[in-house]
Amino acid sequence: MASRAADFPVAGGAGAGFRFRLPPVGAVVPLVALLMAWQIACLTGLFPPQVLVPPSGVARALVDMTQSGELQRHVGDSLFRLTVGFAIGAVAGMAFGAVIALSRLAEAALSPLFMTLWQVPVIAFVPMMVMFLGIDEPFKLAVVAIAAFFPMALATFDGIRGVPRNWFEVAKVYRLRLPQLIRRILLPATVPAVLTGLRVSLTRAWVVLVAAELLAADSGIGQMMEMGRQLFQIDVVLAGVMVSGLIGFLLDRGARWVESRATRWRAA
Amino acid sequence: MTPYPHAREDRLSAKTGRGELIVSDLNKSFTINGQPRRILDNINLTVRPGEFVSIVGASGCGKSTLLRLIVGLDTEYSGELRLDGERIATTSLDRGIVFQDHRLFPWMTLEQNIELALLNTDTPRARRAQIVADHIALVNLKGFEKAYPHQLSGGMAQRAAIARALVTEPRLLLLDEPLGALDALTRVHVQSELQRIWMAQRSTMVMVTHDVEEALYLGDRVIVMSPNPGRIRRIVEVDLPHPRDRRSPLLHRLKDEILAELTSGADADGDAGNLVHLPSREAR
Repeated sequence: MASRAADFPVAGGAGAGFRFRLPPVGAVVPLVALLMAWQIACLTGLFPPQVLVPPSGVARALVDMTQSGELQRHVGDSLFRLTVGFAIGAVAGMAFGAVIALSRLAEAALSPLFMTLWQVPVIAFVPMMVMFLGIDEPFKLAVVAIAAFFPMALATFDGIRGVPRNWFEVAKVYRLRLPQLIRRILLPATVPAVLTGLRVSLTRAWVVLVAAELLAADSGIGQMMEMGRQLFQIDVVLAGVMVSGLIGFLLDRGARWVESRATRWRAA
Repeated sequence: MTPYPHAREDRLSAKTGRGELIVSDLNKSFTINGQPRRILDNINLTVRPGEFVSIVGASGCGKSTLLRLIVGLDTEYSGELRLDGERIATTSLDRGIVFQDHRLFPWMTLEQNIELALLNTDTPRARRAQIVADHIALVNLKGFEKAYPHQLSGGMAQRAAIARALVTEPRLLLLDEPLGALDALTRVHVQSELQRIWMAQRSTMVMVTHDVEEALYLGDRVIVMSPNPGRIRRIVEVDLPHPRDRRSPLLHRLKDEILAELTSGADADGDAGNLVHLPSREAR
């Protein structure tokens, strides 16, 4: 047995060795190249500064808005909406997904409607929602919640339906009671699918929120860009593009980190 | 070296039964495409306490169905299934099972997987860790307590599944082609392990397999079943003490006999076996 112990992969390090690891600098190179090309395009006068502000100009706008606190206010407002709206949508989505996964009756009754609504771009609901909810906070929270709801419900449904029947047999053989079955088998078995759903719906909710703010809002990163456009402050618009992209990137990375931490038991 | 806990004898005697399985007039049908189809036909069998019984037969002879009925995962049958006189109506911690796929939960360590089986036993909490450790030692997996199933080889995972099935100290352990998914070398190794475990444990075991050699190597008796519908065709007594030598001439002679029985049986039964009709034969 001692000889076998040698090829037992140490927990945490499992599988990591096979992946090609790009040094962190490597990912920065294309970004720097893009910024340089952008800067050169501006310096050569290929585009007039009213249309394309150089990266240096965007950087200056970012610094100014940070110093005045304007950027923080917009980002803060957007993240607040994301947090609240996402929490509502994700919880509702999980509950709905669980119900249609566990009840054949609910599935038969609700899934056609669900699947139809799921095909509608969330933005298409905006005009109607503005009429019902106005353009205040409830409207934006509702948009975010709807955006998070669908992928979350779908992921939860797939997660629960994907639990192998075999595992329920094992639970039956060991006489697990329903609460034990739920806590020890059903929940852990659906965690990977639900976490993937959370990541997908979180980034989706962010994109939809920024878009909704572009259309109708009095604050937030999207509204900041829209105001910049109206005032021909292209540097502000581009600063908004960069900040929303960065936030989306960080949300995805954060969710992936949580995902990999929570499912370390999976084969790498 | 027998790593098995010494307290075994006391705990066994505290239990009501000794692991005697009686199957009488057992019939089982499934409905396939609206048609009832007989899967098991009038099965009668008594497994003595502490005995190792192997069941062999062609696929479709209902041998896995029989195990599912005995373990209580399927409860629709006519006839009698009794363990120590008690009629089998559902699953019970007195009856353990090892499936062909190990069915360990991937998010639990080896230790946690085995401990799960003790969740609803009356084993005091304080003693559980020790009992789990004893059973990990029993299947020679010491050092892998914290390993996740994907970090174990196929043979190791199957031994872990055996440990999980044994940890509740079932009076009867059912093995449903437990080594079917293993490669030939691992298979031989785990067969020897299984024999050693059974000798240390001495609980009643019923194993379904399609490997005649395996059935003979482990079984005190080998039940030969024939398909369509599943019937007991013959019961072979293997009068050799354990531990056994694979090269024993008796085992080889019995193997030839059983194989002849299994392959000729198809002809005797008529339709089932003759998948290829030779035109020359039919012409005559």
